[in-house]
Amino acid sequence: MAREPMDLLQGTLDVLVLRTLAAGAMHGYAVSRSIRQRTEGVLEIEDAPLYKALHRLESAGFVAPEWGLSENNRRARYYSLTPAGRRQLKTEESAWRRYAEAVFKVLEAV
Amino acid sequence: MTARRFFRLPWRTSRQIRSDVDEELGFHLDMRVDALIALGMTRDDARARALREFGDLEDARRYIGAVDRGIEATQRRNDYMRDLWQDIGYAARKLRAAPAFTLAAIATLALGIGANTAMFSVVNGVLLRAPAFPKADHLVRVRYTQQGHPDVGTPMDLVDNRTHATKFAGFSTVEGMTANLVRDAADAERVPGVRVSANWFSLLRVAPLAGRFFADGDDQAGGPNVVVLSEALWRRDFAGDANVVGKMVRINSTPFTVIGVVPRDRGYPFSAELWIPKKFTPFELNDQSRGARWLGMLARVRDDVDVAAADRDIEQVSALMETKFPEEFRERRAHLATVQEYTVGDVRKPLFIMLGAVALVLLIACANVANLMLVRATARESEMAVRTALGAGRGRLVRQLMTESVLLSLCGAAAGLAIAKLGMTELLARAPQSVLLAPRASIDATTLAVTAIVAVVTGLVFGLLPAIQVARNDVAMALRAGARGTRSRPSANRTKRLIVVGEVALAVMLLTGAGLLLHSFAKLLSIDPGFKPDRVLSMKLSLPQRTYDSTRTRTFVRALETRARAIPGVRLVGLSNILPLDGGSFGFSFQIRGRPMPRASEHPNTEVRLVTPDYFATMGTPVLQGRAIDASDQPGVAQVIVVNKAFATRFFPNENALGQAIALEWGEDTAAVMRPIAGVVGDVRGSALADAPEPTVYLSMAQYPFSSLSIVVRADGDLASLAGGLRAIVRDLDREVPVYSVQTMEERVSSSLGRERFFATLIAVFAAVALVLAAIGLYGVIAYAVTQRTHELGVRVALGASGTRISRMVIGEGIVLTAAGLAVGIGGALSAGKLLSTLLYDVHAADSLTLAAVVTTLSAVAVLASWIPARRASRVDPLVAMRGD
Repeated sequence: MAREPMDLLQGTLDVLVLRTLAAGAMHGYAVSRSIRQRTEGVLEIEDAPLYKALHRLESAGFVAPEWGLSENNRRARYYSLTPAGRRQLKTEESAWRRYAEAVFKVLEAV
Repeated sequence: MTARRFFRLPWRTSRQIRSDVDEELGFHLDMRVDALIALGMTRDDARARALREFGDLEDARRYIGAVDRGIEATQRRNDYMRDLWQDIGYAARKLRAAPAFTLAAIATLALGIGANTAMFSVVNGVLLRAPAFPKADHLVRVRYTQQGHPDVGTPMDLVDNRTHATKFAGFSTVEGMTANLVRDAADAERVPGVRVSANWFSLLRVAPLAGRFFADGDDQAGGPNVVVLSEALWRRDFAGDANVVGKMVRINSTPFTVIGVVPRDRGYPFSAELWIPKKFTPFELNDQSRGARWLGMLARVRDDVDVAAADRDIEQVSALMETKFPEEFRERRAHLATVQEYTVGDVRKPLFIMLGAVALVLLIACANVANLMLVRATARESEMAVRTALGAGRGRLVRQLMTESVLLSLCGAAAGLAIAKLGMTELLARAPQSVLLAPRASIDATTLAVTAIVAVVTGLVFGLLPAIQVARNDVAMALRAGARGTRSRPSANRTKRLIVVGEVALAVMLLTGAGLLLHSFAKLLSIDPGFKPDRVLSMKLSLPQRTYDSTRTRTFVRALETRARAIPGVRLVGLSNILPLDGGSFGFSFQIRGRPMPRASEHPNTEVRLVTPDYFATMGTPVLQGRAIDASDQPGVAQVIVVNKAFATRFFPNENALGQAIALEWGEDTAAVMRPIAGVVGDVRGSALADAPEPTVYLSMAQYPFSSLSIVVRADGDLASLAGGLRAIVRDLDREVPVYSVQTMEERVSSSLGRERFFATLIAVFAAVALVLAAIGLYGVIAYAVTQRTHELGVRVALGASGTRISRMVIGEGIVLTAAGLAVGIGGALSAGKLLSTLLYDVHAADSLTLAAVVTTLSAVAVLASWIPARRASRVDPLVAMRGD
């Protein structure tokens, strides 16, 4: 981990959040920890933009919030994907894959 | 999962949103701090690390708060819309489930709303919509009064105002004229027009449709003879020819050049079809001519001045003139009236009264629908109780019912628009010109908006009572009674009765209004006009003044008379310059022999008529004393006059008028010839049937040939075919003389009452609708009461009450309700009657005959409306009635 963390591309965070929530309902802290673990510190992700993304997705109707009890019995805001969110995740995922493939084709052609 | 999609969660306030955000973010930070402490950090280090990892906390709080408030607002809107659609869907299902009720309610409302829309569109077109000129409220007519009486302007007033008034953009004269228009090879045509100053169209601020308007010098002596045409005339006579500008036409035998066309609705006066410049003679623009009062005046108030200030300004000008000419202008004052006020002055009040009357009809319609809703609400008590028990709030139920009401009235309004369209066509077709000052009534955006508002308000008005009743419901009681259909409580029945009393009262007011106007109209019809209008045909013609001097006019009149008399069936032929009831006036001041010269401000005035020898016989006006104008009154013979009875009694109250003599101040003929009175004839109603006859002097037409002629012909046989024969004679005598206004005298009498007939008919129609609605309302309440009391009635019959007794009881109930309505309604009618009093002729607002007729009519209708349910009640089978409950 000697290298500097990369900045996030626009819109990337939204797809990461949707992907994370695909596993099931979780609160913001859990989403944050899960993304950090998976990206293994390659991406520099602050929590502020993450929460902004969660509420933005709620406003767009992709995730639905519900207050629940956390593992340590505190009131926490749980988010889960809506059917529209699931569809959105699929679209964005395939867009990302096509994008990445295209970039790789260029990089590997050398 | 998404609970809010299925159940409505309580809405969050801004403060709740803020605390939710803080709680969510606080939870995150606490979790992170705890985790870091578990890894061995101190609390302070852990907190600092957690905050650093989080990033800009404040910005996130603000952003999230804003997003959540947006989500909340959307949610509220959606919830609201969903409820509304639910209510509407539910209401529509409920209304469909009761088609008889729904149709009855919609038909009633359609009638009420449709009538209102039609009436409003006419009122809007005639009274409310401003004339289509820029800043039309600054366009004014200048009017004069002298010693409190209406007076008319003089050409010098125009000069004075232009010189001394400071708050005006300009003044113009306006003088009505009728033009004999001759173009190319076509027949002469009679066209209404005006003579105006050159600045006329710049005062109106309109642009020509084609060509140009008058230039500055066009109204000076020696200016060109130019004419501006209305778009209607241009399309009718010139087929909308773009090359009309520059064409020559002949107006009253003078050649004129067409210079421009005024767009539709932009010409003023609205009835004018052509405009020519008014050129004053030096004789007219002279201090000596201040007595010649005939001039109309239009002015535009400066944009930066308000009309009230301009009114004071022009009043000061007239006050200044009084100091200069204290004799002629004693207490003479100028006032402004906007063009709108000036045009609609007389019809404003009656039109608003009609609008009020039609609003009463709508109120009655509302009352009927409210009663229908109440009956239904009673039948639905168990439905409402079940919904309440299932958790629907009262507010929600009231809202549901109001939605039903508004939905009903919107349907009513939609159907009403069709009725309005019909009604409006009918109104426009029947309204006389004197009411329909501008035929601009149409169902436009304003009308639609007003209809929509009326519909919603109507829905709220008639929906409120049933809704209140539901809100008062006792759930437990309703549910207990529910199984067998509920028995409505006394309070609901009292409401229904009160509503019926109210609508009967409203109907009484309308009937009284209609009765008064009809009675007044009957009185007008029974007035003796002073002539016998049956079997008399009349028509007007006008000789071009330029080509007809006295001799030629005399020859023409004599030829016309002789040839008309020769038509088979014609018995008598007469001519006059002005026909009675035509609104024309031809007045002069005069002096009586042997009496002191009257002061100018007193100016005794008389109407003057020029007649042929057979005129009185043709019209059937009796000669009371002396002789009529006869064949001996030829030019060169000593002139005599004949006066009417009004003249004789006014000016010679205690003397014999015969043998007296007067000198008319006769335009250019200032020599003041004394003419002896040779006869007295009966009075004729001159300007309107309702107006007292004015003093009138008759002169021999042979001695005073006149260019504007009316011919009257008394004949046996078909008057319509006679008209063709007369036309042919005139055409044969001179093709350039137009014939117009061909009518029997009976038609003239009838059309002089056009306005009165129109308003009387209108209110009679409203009253008839009101009566029918009130009868239906009464019937509904009585019939419902009978249904409810079937059990009781059965018991009564079982105990020996006869059918007659039962039906008398039921009818009695209807009569009690009607009597209460009559009492209230007559009270209302008496106070509202004062509004009508200016529209009434020889009928008092508290006319006992009318009130008696109203009471009789309503009582008869009430008996009839209760008789049907009463008959049903009297046939109740006691066994069925008692078992059924």
